[in-house]
Amino acid sequence: MEGASWPTHLTPIIEEFKDCFDSMERYELLFEYAKKHPSPLPIDEWNEKNQVLGCQSRAHVKSSLDENGLFLLRAGADAQIVQGLMAITAITVNGMLPIEVAKLTPKYVEEMGLKSSLTPSRANGFLNMFNRVISEAEVLSER
Amino acid sequence: MALDIESIRADFPILSRILPNGKQLVYFDNAATSQKPQCVIDEMTRYYENYNSNAHRANHTLADEATTALENARESIAKFFGAKPDNLIYTSGATEAINLVSYGWAKYNLKEGDVIVLTEMEHHADIVPWQQLSKEKGIEIRYVPIDNETYTLDMDAFEVAVKDAALVCVTHTSNVLGIRNPIEQIIQMSKDSGAHILLDCAQGAPHEKIDFIGLNADFIAISAHKMAGPTGIGCLLVSSERLEEMEPFMTGGSMIKKVTTDGSTFQNGHAMFETGTPRIAEAIGWGAAVEWLSQFEMKEIHEHIHKIAAWTGNEMKKIPGIKIYGDPSNKNSSGAVSFLHEKIQSQDLAFLLDEGGFAVRTGHHCAQPLMDALGVPSTNRASFWIYNTQEEVESFISHLRDVCERFS
Repeated sequence: MEGASWPTHLTPIIEEFKDCFDSMERYELLFEYAKKHPSPLPIDEWNEKNQVLGCQSRAHVKSSLDENGLFLLRAGADAQIVQGLMAITAITVNGMLPIEVAKLTPKYVEEMGLKSSLTPSRANGFLNMFNRVISEAEVLSER
Repeated sequence: MALDIESIRADFPILSRILPNGKQLVYFDNAATSQKPQCVIDEMTRYYENYNSNAHRANHTLADEATTALENARESIAKFFGAKPDNLIYTSGATEAINLVSYGWAKYNLKEGDVIVLTEMEHHADIVPWQQLSKEKGIEIRYVPIDNETYTLDMDAFEVAVKDAALVCVTHTSNVLGIRNPIEQIIQMSKDSGAHILLDCAQGAPHEKIDFIGLNADFIAISAHKMAGPTGIGCLLVSSERLEEMEPFMTGGSMIKKVTTDGSTFQNGHAMFETGTPRIAEAIGWGAAVEWLSQFEMKEIHEHIHKIAAWTGNEMKKIPGIKIYGDPSNKNSSGAVSFLHEKIQSQDLAFLLDEGGFAVRTGHHCAQPLMDALGVPSTNRASFWIYNTQEEVESFISHLRDVCERFS
């Protein structure tokens, strides 16, 4: 990880966001990432157990280990901004050791120029989803 | 005389705020809370800097000044609402005022089987206290539906519901739809059928002169913070007849007359319901707010807001994918314009509007039964007030159009 903040394979995505002309262009790019989530959680699998509390929009997270014992994040949200951030998070964490995922911070979102998405009072709740991923990674790393 | 909006804006320091993204703030979340003029901020600061003291408690100079200011504010606020000071109970806001009616009056004056009439338009603050009371006392609640095409109350259904009702609780103006209800007709029909009436004027008071005595309602709930006053204060206006029937809702502090180990006696009138240390600075701030508002005609304020809300609603309709919930073109509508885009999720849309500096509200607006009736989980809402300008709404529509084109 670069400065223990994010894995190096996330750096090209961060650079892509940094190259955007303005914040609206960054959000357009984020909407594009929302459409290419590598491991989405389909709506029919959304339930109370995997619902992220504290989000006004609907948001669901389900973490597990793949056949190689590596982290697999499946997530879904009706807000595209949250879904886009979760898509990037999934690209980042899928295939990592759970113990490495547990050490991740959301600093990469700030680096992408989307710091306002991390404000706890923002009702769209990416931070709540991210914290849920980290706590699930902590549990999986103890197995 | 037309309002001098630029001069009015100069009274609100926050309106010149530049946001962290470099954008000029355009504040369209007035139905949630209004901004405060400098005189309100100054009066509250002056209290803390010069005469902060507990009111009604001591004989020293500061206590006397604080008590005088608190009671002068009560007089100003009561006068603004066409009420007598004795009929004004300070509360934390409209929510506490409605809870005070539920726990301080209805609990002791309604019985099992009595009927309370609510509407689908109500804010949760005017639903949940009644649901709680219903569970406790076996009271029946009837909901008057809205017409999903006109977004107005179904008055035929109201006529049926109000028969044999004991209490009618209705919002003056919907915080979601901006629709102003026919409250004069509702009050008359309620009185004719022998029901008492509570008006939730949290949204109505910032847009229209509320005349408590003229309206002849039993209870009126108001929040200060939506009409240039500070947060944390509001009032219940209550008729003398209903006030006589009320029992304390909370006890302790300045509401007591005498406490012994055997029991307690209480103050009379509004003092019986103002427990603990009063919200002194907030009351003084609210007093300053109504004095500030008194320099204008509320009718002129409403006309100004209606003009920009109607224009905004009309322009929004031209944007493909936008649907408006309510009727901003209706002359009685307040400045709240609720809308959704068919493809852009409401939270996303609010976020993207914020990127342009536009503060709008998103969510169920504490009106989930209304959301159910509309068949949506949430709406975006732009709500305007006295200091908003035509230039601001033009810039808003331009940004909204751009967002809708780029993100749908």
